[in-house]
Amino acid sequence: MDRDVIVIGGGVNGAGVARDAAMRGLSVLLLEKQDFGVGASGNSSGMIHGGIRYMTSDRRVTALACRDSGYIRRIAPHLVFRIPFLMPFVSRRDGATLLERATWYATEVYVGTYDLYQPLKGGKPSTRLTPEELYAIEPALRPGLGGAVTLDEWGIDAFRLCALNALSAERHGAEVRNWTEATEVVREGGRVTGVRWRDALTGEGGLARAPVVFNASGAWSPALGRRAGVSVPMRPGKGVHLTLDRRFSNYGIICTAVDGRQMFLMPHENDSIIGTTDDDYYGDPDDLEATSDEVEYLLEGVESLVPGVRRARVTRAWCGLRTTLYQYGKNEDDLSREHLLYDHAAEGAAGLLSFAGGKLASYRAQAEEVTDRILLLLGRPPVACRTHQEPLPGGESLPDPAELARRHGVARAAAARLAYRHGALAEEVLRLCDEDPRLKLCLCRDEGILAAEVVWCARHEKVRRLQDLRRRCRLGTGGCAGLDCARVAAQLAAHELGWDADRVRAELSDLLDLDWRERRAVLDGAQLAAAEMARAVHRGLGAL
Amino acid sequence: MTARLECEVLVVGGGVAGAVAALAARRAGTRVALARRAPGATALSSGALSSGTDPTELPGAFLGARAGVADSARRLAALRPRHPYAVAGKRLDRLEEALAFAAGELGSVLAPFNGRHRWLPTPYGSFQAAALCQRTMVAADLAEARGLLAVVALRGHLSWDAGMAAASIERSAPLGGPRAEVARLDFPMWEEAALWRPHELARFLERPGAAEDLGGMLRRALPPRASAAVFPPVLGLSPGADVAGRIAAAAGLPVAETLSDVPSVPGLRLQAALEARLRAAGVEVLPGDLREARGPGRPARCAEREVLAPSWVLASGRFVGGGIVRRGTLVEPLLGIPVAAAEAFGGWGAHLAGRPAASLTHRDWRTAQPLLSAGLASDALFRPVDAQGAVVHQRLFAAGALLGGYDQASDGSGLGVAVLTGYLSGQAAAAGGGLAAAPALGRPLGTLGPGGGKGGGA
Repeated sequence: MDRDVIVIGGGVNGAGVARDAAMRGLSVLLLEKQDFGVGASGNSSGMIHGGIRYMTSDRRVTALACRDSGYIRRIAPHLVFRIPFLMPFVSRRDGATLLERATWYATEVYVGTYDLYQPLKGGKPSTRLTPEELYAIEPALRPGLGGAVTLDEWGIDAFRLCALNALSAERHGAEVRNWTEATEVVREGGRVTGVRWRDALTGEGGLARAPVVFNASGAWSPALGRRAGVSVPMRPGKGVHLTLDRRFSNYGIICTAVDGRQMFLMPHENDSIIGTTDDDYYGDPDDLEATSDEVEYLLEGVESLVPGVRRARVTRAWCGLRTTLYQYGKNEDDLSREHLLYDHAAEGAAGLLSFAGGKLASYRAQAEEVTDRILLLLGRPPVACRTHQEPLPGGESLPDPAELARRHGVARAAAARLAYRHGALAEEVLRLCDEDPRLKLCLCRDEGILAAEVVWCARHEKVRRLQDLRRRCRLGTGGCAGLDCARVAAQLAAHELGWDADRVRAELSDLLDLDWRERRAVLDGAQLAAAEMARAVHRGLGAL
Repeated sequence: MTARLECEVLVVGGGVAGAVAALAARRAGTRVALARRAPGATALSSGALSSGTDPTELPGAFLGARAGVADSARRLAALRPRHPYAVAGKRLDRLEEALAFAAGELGSVLAPFNGRHRWLPTPYGSFQAAALCQRTMVAADLAEARGLLAVVALRGHLSWDAGMAAASIERSAPLGGPRAEVARLDFPMWEEAALWRPHELARFLERPGAAEDLGGMLRRALPPRASAAVFPPVLGLSPGADVAGRIAAAAGLPVAETLSDVPSVPGLRLQAALEARLRAAGVEVLPGDLREARGPGRPARCAEREVLAPSWVLASGRFVGGGIVRRGTLVEPLLGIPVAAAEAFGGWGAHLAGRPAASLTHRDWRTAQPLLSAGLASDALFRPVDAQGAVVHQRLFAAGALLGGYDQASDGSGLGVAVLTGYLSGQAAAAGGGLAAAPALGRPLGTLGPGGGKGGGA
């Protein structure tokens, strides 16, 4: 089974390249050792943003990200939503010092400059808000602020973005394997010739041959490179986010952390997200957990502008590793967000490319650049990239939730959720309910997951483990920690995927293990009671 | 404003621990009031009362040959010095008496106590021990049942997977348990029934004719040689409706339901039985938060009434019940009694209550979690003690999950502790302290702060 290219890693870069390469007629094998987006991509802030933070240092990054976020809105219009942000002025107009006035002016110029990029990504231009206007739209802010400027950003479900790219790659003929690890990059005579792989679930393994191997394994790249005898320099940075149980503010709010770093609180889907930390990480990328001090740092930062956040219910703390470019002697925040493609030919591994850095918002452009390079290495004539024109699965049209709800007899909120997550395919998901009305059962009152969505994802979205449903349809990620949904979803998946009772128990146990790791640093208040309840059922009753 | 309510014993909390305490105090002839904010964690329980199994028992031991309820509790106590069973000391010998008392008081739903564990199937492909179970569960006792159990699959009921319950039973077969086979019933399924939650299905089965129809359907679908039939835990909310009995009569064999997860019909049934029994026994039930609580012998307010009692039993539960909360630090919100916490490795005591959550947990969720064993420390009479180990008040007793020292989810002794401590504390409170009246050793309660800590969840 010879291919043109083997892509290692099912994050946004790997899946994006697999899609682009397959669309340009290459034969592609994508290997992901777990599931799509489990690393930095899915655990990013979930924003297709322009990176205003990088404007002063990496203006190219901002321009590229803005242009490409416009394209992503075109190919996945269902999955992208607007998040207006506020950047408050932390001092009052009256009696402001010269320095404070200078800061306001600088902020306005800063955001005004960012406005120049807004047409690229379809955002609205910034507005200046008086204190009165600011408190009218965001009363939770602490008193005494001198107004704000607004800026427009876009949110996205990053796990689904990765999965949709992988699914699209498959539609264009790529072989896409999740839960399949690339165990060894095979080299012969100064060239790579293929990859040995092993299926983590079946134990099946083999050797796939290809003249080009693209290593997009993110924070796992340096280790994979070492095994292949090449060096992939990188400064992995741990980024932690917190999820709150509801939309805690109306707008995204840009805050300043105790150390002066910029951070944010933003509404995202049904929740709010607080992010993020940025710290060098030298540990095992497979063993990553948020710590109590990271949680405290984030809450403290938001508290400085939104004091009520201390009463919020934090449901999860989750993290990923940025694959930042290697530089010695700089603080984490000052590291470049540029991306870099390493060609390992000089290290005796011609045909092996590794990727570092980059941004979620620019993934498509990055994939285009990598695919151009792959064509060049293969000696193929250039083929035009079409990934910015052809919609991702479901992105062909935007269904009307009210119409969907009426036609299939489900709640409008449930239909809206499906329209958001599945776009044009929401109709197909709901058609399952027409055949079996039981699939209208709402598995999770927190997330509004219909049984039909679980069945659809199990059938059509390369779900191999129960935990894959966390990423496809946010199963078990709400405040109740799987109390309501886990068993029933496992039974539905078992029916689709042919699991026996022991496998169902193993999958539930695995799902809950993953869940516990995201909860244990934030067990407080009502969330602690929820954990006690869920444990009583899953551990006490179920003996999982 | 109604008159001040004066009684001998005030119980705070309306779950199993509080109800047993109130009934035990009532049995001793005292006037008892019970303040409860909401149905306790009991309504969310599996519906059976487990008292914990012998942790040293080999997993392959025959179910019929395993240690009885009292011996299991003694072994738990011997291994876990902070467990209320161990704290009880010699009084642990009264566990069987307490369980028999609870079974008698709640005889409308509970089967008599017989000294040994009943092993009951769950919807998770597992089985669990119970010292007391509901009458609707007896026929699925895997230590007693013989031959073949027919596990009922209801075509209309999406959240019930008969295969998982059958796997629970099959798992017991090598340990002397019965075998299982799925019997598929074409249970009427129409638009709204397809989306029924368990309690709605349970209500439906209470209607005249519904259980009989289901029993008739079962009779036709039964595999030959089936000795009993096992249903999802939906056999009616009200014990009086006798859904299980009516299905059994129509099907011609005993029927049982499995234990339940949440929402729990058997849990709701048990809660309703508790409340009915409290009223019948003449306990004054006050629905609402207890306010201005300063401890025994001082007036407090609940449900627009002032209550005064010289002895109190706190049975306000742990995190689900709200007897203990964590707001940055662990707090007992009613009286501000210091909460003892356990570290991930080693220590135990009120000085650990402010440690970060991650420091009080283990990474492996399957192991016992120290944070979830947090609660009040007490003397051998279950009187809460302060950080120095001194009794907070001579006539203040605790019962149930409010007492710390054990993780209910991992040792399975939760409701057994509730029954034992409820029974003993109820009796002790009725007796006026249990010890010769001695001057209070502890600090007056009014001086205890709420425990401090900023923020926290709502």
